[in-house]
Amino acid sequence: MSNDTVESNFSNYGVYQINENLELFLPNTIIKIEKIGDGAFSYFRRDSEGIIVEKIIPKKLNNIRIELAPIRPLNHPAKRTRHMFLKFDKEIYLSHGSAASIFVHCPIEIGIFLIHDSDRESLDWITCNPLNSRFGLSGSPDTGILCKYAKVSLATDYSDSTPYVEGVMKIVIENVLASGQNIDKVIFPITDNFLYYENSKTIIDGIKVVLKKRAAVSIADIKTDSLSTEWTKSPTWEDTTVTDSMEMGLE
Amino acid sequence: MLEFLQELSQMQLIGGLTVLSLLMGAIIMTVGIIIAKIVKLLFHKYYAPTLQKDTAQNISKLIYFGIIIISFMVFTSSQGVDFSGLMVAGGIFAVIIGFATQSVISNLISGVFLMIEKPVKHGDTIQIPDMSIYGTLLDIATFSSRVRKFDGTIVRIPNEKFFASNIRSLSTSTVRRADITVGISYNDDIDNAISVIKKEIQSTMPFILSIPEPEFRVKELGDSSVNIQVLVWHPKDDWSQAQPILLTTVKRALDKSGIEIPYPQRVIWGAKD
Repeated sequence: MSNDTVESNFSNYGVYQINENLELFLPNTIIKIEKIGDGAFSYFRRDSEGIIVEKIIPKKLNNIRIELAPIRPLNHPAKRTRHMFLKFDKEIYLSHGSAASIFVHCPIEIGIFLIHDSDRESLDWITCNPLNSRFGLSGSPDTGILCKYAKVSLATDYSDSTPYVEGVMKIVIENVLASGQNIDKVIFPITDNFLYYENSKTIIDGIKVVLKKRAAVSIADIKTDSLSTEWTKSPTWEDTTVTDSMEMGLE
Repeated sequence: MLEFLQELSQMQLIGGLTVLSLLMGAIIMTVGIIIAKIVKLLFHKYYAPTLQKDTAQNISKLIYFGIIIISFMVFTSSQGVDFSGLMVAGGIFAVIIGFATQSVISNLISGVFLMIEKPVKHGDTIQIPDMSIYGTLLDIATFSSRVRKFDGTIVRIPNEKFFASNIRSLSTSTVRRADITVGISYNDDIDNAISVIKKEIQSTMPFILSIPEPEFRVKELGDSSVNIQVLVWHPKDDWSQAQPILLTTVKRALDKSGIEIPYPQRVIWGAKD
């Protein structure tokens, strides 16, 4: 399915005002909001995994406003980390003393926010591509970092975003080490990166990676590179529900 | 009023202790207890949230009882109470009490060492194999530690035993591994079986880590089947999303592909005459 077809068949990101009812269509997902009486709206969502969520939204006003917007890919299947592990489908070779600027696809999730005055309150969130929402470990089991993991392909530019599934992010890599380096992954805290949307496309704040020596150890120094764009900035939200500690966790 | 106080100061009790000094002591101790409670409250409000729960509890107790002991010392020194006689008697009793409270002191010292070493912390899931105890650590207090077992009951373990035991922490590592073993028929292709199991795990078990990938080992050429061990990693808190459903997932994958999980079987050869 081409991007144009996707855009024409599904609902765009943005703010929606609901007076009576609203249906939003996303890939394998349907969202319905309707007025069920004076001062109450119902919310229904069936997602790509067949999970149904229903809620009642008591509201004194005759209408409500919601915002459909991309959010960071940290909540599915559960919020466990703030780090992202992007594994490139092709390795990048960088000679010593050189720098490169690449665009990569980065998974996203979609948030549904209730607009309350100027605040955005999270009503729900979904992922349209649950199969690309997995965990990965960077380092050893005892001291490593748990990350959200995704195998990603390079993008041509910011317009190459896959609607509802992947945003595009710019990564600037600089190698100041004494030798050439193969780079096939980046691991970074994505909570510092904001998302921006236009219609059904998403772009994400970039990162700048400097490969350098620190105390005789080669390290990758990663910093967020904020975007300057006219696209709409997404509200941010991560699931902060405290999970029960593991029970019966013994073999 | 002054006369009344003078009368009280002349009413001797024991060892030079008067009713007035006892009254003063009561006032000093009351003020001390009030100050201890206020300081404890302020500590809980401003500093305890930044500390681990059990550390905060122990520091809180230290502050509370410390202020009360200081109040008592202020009282004794201000009233000139002579404890020299008591000290002599106390020396004899100390030996007796020392023997009697050996385990109490041992628990206290073990508790201090546990607090310093911190092998595990409040909220960790732990196993103490020596005592067959496993559950969530609730706290390490002065004399004992409490563990909530998975059946909801709470076990109090004397610190002496807790300190001397092997403690297995299931919460310290970032991730944990789950594993199962499944047997397939000798007629089935091992690589194909591994491939279908891997695909089913990747598509239906979102908590299984992609890196490190699920690992497969042919563990044994058994009597009736080729036994394959499946090892997968998962976030430490999501054991329930891995181990209990792994076997179901593997069986479903094999069933879908028509790969047989054989029953135990024997081939019997009849000897020729």
